[in-house]
Amino acid sequence: MKLKQFLLMGLMVCGATAVHADDKLYTVVDGYKVDANTMKGFRAWRAAACDRCHGANQEGLVGPSLITSLKTLSKEEFVKTVKEGRLPKGMQSFGNSPAVMDNIDQLYAYLKGRSDGAITRAKVEPIQQ
Amino acid sequence: MRNSGHSNWRVWRHLGMAVLALPTLAMANADVEKNIANSKNWAMQAGDMFNQRYSKLNQINKGNVGKMQVAWTFSTGVLRGHEGSPLVIDGTMYLHSPFPNKVFAIDLDTQKILWKYEPKQDPAVIPQMCCDTVNRGLAFAEGKVILQQADSMLVALDAKTGKVVWSTKNGDPKLGAVNTNAPHVFKDKVITGISGGEWGVRGFIAAYNLKDGKPAWKAYSVGPDAEMLMDPDKTMTWTDGKMAPVGKDSSLKTWKGDQWKTGGGTTWGWYSYDKALNLMYYGTGNPSTWNPSQRPGDNKWSMTIFARDVDTGMAKWAYQMTPFDEWDFDGINEMILADINVKGKPTKALVHFDRNGFAYTMDRVTGALLVAEKYDPKVNWATHVDMKTGRPAVVAKYSTAQNGPDVNTKGICPAALGSKDQQPASYDPNTKLFYVPTNHVCMDYEPFKVEYTAGQPYVGATLSMFPAPGSHGGMGNYITWDAGTGKIVQSKPEKFSVWSGSLNTAGGLSCYGTLEGYMKCVDAKDIKKELFKFKTPSGIIGNVFTYEHKGKQYIGVFSGIGGWAGIGMAAGLEKDQDGLGAVGGYKELSQYTELGGSLTVFALPN
Repeated sequence: MKLKQFLLMGLMVCGATAVHADDKLYTVVDGYKVDANTMKGFRAWRAAACDRCHGANQEGLVGPSLITSLKTLSKEEFVKTVKEGRLPKGMQSFGNSPAVMDNIDQLYAYLKGRSDGAITRAKVEPIQQ
Repeated sequence: MRNSGHSNWRVWRHLGMAVLALPTLAMANADVEKNIANSKNWAMQAGDMFNQRYSKLNQINKGNVGKMQVAWTFSTGVLRGHEGSPLVIDGTMYLHSPFPNKVFAIDLDTQKILWKYEPKQDPAVIPQMCCDTVNRGLAFAEGKVILQQADSMLVALDAKTGKVVWSTKNGDPKLGAVNTNAPHVFKDKVITGISGGEWGVRGFIAAYNLKDGKPAWKAYSVGPDAEMLMDPDKTMTWTDGKMAPVGKDSSLKTWKGDQWKTGGGTTWGWYSYDKALNLMYYGTGNPSTWNPSQRPGDNKWSMTIFARDVDTGMAKWAYQMTPFDEWDFDGINEMILADINVKGKPTKALVHFDRNGFAYTMDRVTGALLVAEKYDPKVNWATHVDMKTGRPAVVAKYSTAQNGPDVNTKGICPAALGSKDQQPASYDPNTKLFYVPTNHVCMDYEPFKVEYTAGQPYVGATLSMFPAPGSHGGMGNYITWDAGTGKIVQSKPEKFSVWSGSLNTAGGLSCYGTLEGYMKCVDAKDIKKELFKFKTPSGIIGNVFTYEHKGKQYIGVFSGIGGWAGIGMAAGLEKDQDGLGAVGGYKELSQYTELGGSLTVFALPN
């Protein structure tokens, strides 16, 4: 169990370094306890009702699976898509949503954590200090 | 000569006016009434103005329906959910599609497309449609086909050519005010509503002149009396066991501050009309947001049955079913008008199967509450409706407001999509029973605080849904209901929600579609007897309809999975459900069906 957790953390850090030099995108314990920034990302996800189209577990519904999409979508592409939308495909623009745009990095971190498999369930909780 | 000429002109004009005036005063909907009276047509979405979904055609009947075959099919060329049904008037079929809201006129002699209309709409409306890009169909009157587009444009097309006669803007899609409902023609008015309860849209019902599309009146569901077209002294509501005036500021008093301005109460259901009373009936939807703690008060008049004068829009009576909604139990489902015995007394009744799991029988003349009983025994959020106050007795355990934000309230029955959603029920005057397509689904509901931003989703709760526990494992039932006593007569289990409008016929049949894509006809006297079953190309969320052409009866239905049941539902079900998982869940739908819209029309073999 401990070993598994250790490996997961290791993987996660590797994944994060690949994207963002030495910055960790997110910290997760036990698969669902996350740092304050990642919590903000989750709250943005919830406030914007992203689950309407992407599914309660980001698995895809009318919209694509974000578990899959975020494996290939770059951070820049992600931000552009959220901000401008992909209207003909049914993705709205969140450009004027403070709940989303003020937390776009955190939202990315949360979703990346879900896509990486490090955050093992959609509903996360704060790490108890 | 001049005088005489003048007076002749005046006489002629008066005569002419009188002749012209007749249809607009005495029988303003004469054309629609004529079309409905001819049972060969399917001239309104429900077949009539009472929303009964009953046809007098009887060529296809209990004895021969088993031999029914596919007569012809038609692809709309559109994916996504196909709700509503085509109309048939005098040998022409008028067919609609989900967004982009195509309209086809089809010659029933040849099945050739006579004309096609496809509006240009801003694709920004696509993501603003709450639960799939559905459209519930067209209206037809006086040579015009009326289309209510997603982007809120209400359009009248020349039935002969498909050319636009008039068009008018009904809402502001930039704020999430879009449309899914079918327009209805009552008298000389086109009645339409609005969607967007999940965008904080302030709901209203609006009437436009059939003649030129000019606005006639508009009545909001919430807000100041004048804007709701409510008379504090004359608009009545059920109070302490009798009808009493609603009083001044009946809505404003039940909202905190100006929250009513983004208060919801949208109106995307099926409306009905009683010519003798000159009243139209409809329901209003959920208050916005889904987080109840944020909007204390009864939130009037969301979740309400309204009776309004069609000429003026003034509310005759109103009854709020779910004050202070905590579960998204929109009150928009159809109002069925029927003259039945209620507790032994002949009554001009209005019968309504609400999302909240209670079926209401009202006196449609006065608005008095007569019967309110559960039409799914699993309904648990309230023990009963107090017949004196008219209020549901809420069970604390299932109160998402009492449990508060960020608490997951578990095991609420029914789920947000209700014991029944928009899929309209039918009434059979022969059996005097209602035939109700139902959902048998429960939910966990976790509200959370949400800020309003114009044009952005304003939901404020996370839901997960699952089949009603401790039952047959399926997610639907097809039931018969005695609205006079408030009792289920028969209940036929279905694997999935029955999200298709039903049809009853003088042939002793009751027909409906299933989410797997089966078109079924059962014996109206014993609905457990399945007499016909056929697998159409996709899951059915459309409404069964019938017509006669050249001496032959046809029964048709749209297939094309989608809507909240077909797409939205799967969301919650992917979530791990404490072992319930996807037992018998919607997830399994993918084993039966894929997207794709088409019409399938059945008939007896030659």
